[in-house]
Amino acid sequence: MATESMFAWLGRRIKRQDAGSVLLVAPLAAFELVFFVVPFLILVRMSLNANVDPGFYASAFTLDAYRAVLESGLYRDLIVFSFKLGVIATVIAVLLALFYAYAAYRATGLRKSLLLFSVILPLLTTLVVKTYAWRPLLAPNGVLNDLLIDIGVISSPIQFAPGMVGTVVGQVYIVFPYAVLAIYSVLSTMDWDTVEAARDLGASRPRSFFEVVVPEALPGIAVATVVSFAWSVGAYAAPSQLGSGQQTTFAMEIESLMLTQLDWPTGAAFSILMLGGMLVVSLGVMRLFTGSIGGVQDV
Amino acid sequence: MSRVSRERVEDALFRAGYWLLFAVILLPILVVFVTSFQQGEYITFPPNEYSLKWYRQFFASEEWLSAVRDSFVIGVGASLLSTVLGVTGSLAVQRSDSVLTRVLPPIILLPLLLPPVVIGLTLLIYVNRIGITSTYLRIVVAHTLWATPLVFFVMQSVFARFDWSLRDAGMDLGGHPLRVFYHVVLPNVRSGVLISAVVAFIVSLQEFIMALFLRSYQVKTVPVLAWTSLQSALTPMVSVVSAFLVLTSIVGVLVAAAVMNMEWLAEQL
Repeated sequence: MATESMFAWLGRRIKRQDAGSVLLVAPLAAFELVFFVVPFLILVRMSLNANVDPGFYASAFTLDAYRAVLESGLYRDLIVFSFKLGVIATVIAVLLALFYAYAAYRATGLRKSLLLFSVILPLLTTLVVKTYAWRPLLAPNGVLNDLLIDIGVISSPIQFAPGMVGTVVGQVYIVFPYAVLAIYSVLSTMDWDTVEAARDLGASRPRSFFEVVVPEALPGIAVATVVSFAWSVGAYAAPSQLGSGQQTTFAMEIESLMLTQLDWPTGAAFSILMLGGMLVVSLGVMRLFTGSIGGVQDV
Repeated sequence: MSRVSRERVEDALFRAGYWLLFAVILLPILVVFVTSFQQGEYITFPPNEYSLKWYRQFFASEEWLSAVRDSFVIGVGASLLSTVLGVTGSLAVQRSDSVLTRVLPPIILLPLLLPPVVIGLTLLIYVNRIGITSTYLRIVVAHTLWATPLVFFVMQSVFARFDWSLRDAGMDLGGHPLRVFYHVVLPNVRSGVLISAVVAFIVSLQEFIMALFLRSYQVKTVPVLAWTSLQSALTPMVSVVSAFLVLTSIVGVLVAAAVMNMEWLAEQL
């Protein structure tokens, strides 16, 4: 009975829409199924296999690969470092992006175009270039050190890169444009009159920013946070190019597991564990933001 | 401090803040351009002496030129594939409310939010399993996963602005759906399609992590070759290549912007 009514419902649904739409959506649906959904299921299946030798694995249903990742002190350090870099880079990137997106929103004419262009240009530039160009700037004999010594802030060069500072700068630089655009796209729909009203009622400018602009921009800030976080936890280019070797992320280890050690089950298990962790954090962030937006929506 | 003078200080700080950020954002790209003209073997900024030496070496290098060719072939492939998939998919989602069209957008978007290393790894396991041996095809598929959501969402906003009653009128007059699409819908969304295709090409041209996992000895894209040569030394050759990549993207964006403005002009006249 239940199946019958389900089929009747499905039949009605299919009848209601024109066959053209089904035909049109078919190629995209098939592509996503064949090259995204199925590969992910195979990744999950691979993570349950037993590793035998480099390049060889035995078909099995075992959690050995997961255990190997979780029990290894080295991998635990990599996981902790990846999340730490994710949090640091995200906080810096989102705060700077909020400021910059607001500046772009407030600007008009040529200035607005320049500010937006400066965000779009790095977005269109390869990760290789974005990280590599920071090396001569942050090196011990680089531009920043020369500048700091010349103005007398420091007396001997600091090794920003390779090192943690370089890694964070590089990673923030990578996610910053995405964060700005996410926040800007929400701000651009905001009516400036509400801010004017707050000002007229006596709010100072910083206060009107934090109490009117920021709540309005929250959905954009949420998206910026999730995107920056996902990309920074999975950082690969910035820590490889600008890190000192101590800044190793799980993404760098996966590359080595897959391409050098050819340990496929462990690489797959490691990826799935990290995706799970990132998903939990991202959902938590979304909940946090929608929780505070929810109050507004109820009104 | 009076309110007016405090506001003046706030204004100055605000302006100094965003112009400083502006300068920092463009600094790395400036470094790339300037160091590509340097004379020495190792990158220094600013360079001591300038020359076109590294440009000459680039155009004389079989390895780099074949990487340019590979990047171009893969970029065109990914651009065509993702434009076809994205435009048809977007059109379908726009015109129907079936379950599939509601499930699809989040699935299309997901690859952009996963670490590219994980996607590269997933696809590597998969293509080895099902036996896709062509490196071109492997990387085209990977880049299409990234470019399609961009095409899809650009087209969603383009189609949302299109007046669908025009299409319905065409259908009522007895036009075949394909004919109506070609004569009525397409002319109105042409610039959107072109911009999507340009964006898809640029995304493919610049992506390197998935391409790093899926490359082969014979086929590697420009960013992948730049990356592997950076592992050995910080040479100005990479600046030349980077300048080339940045310039190609700028030209692409200018073409897209010109098309947009042409449309705007056409609307004004």
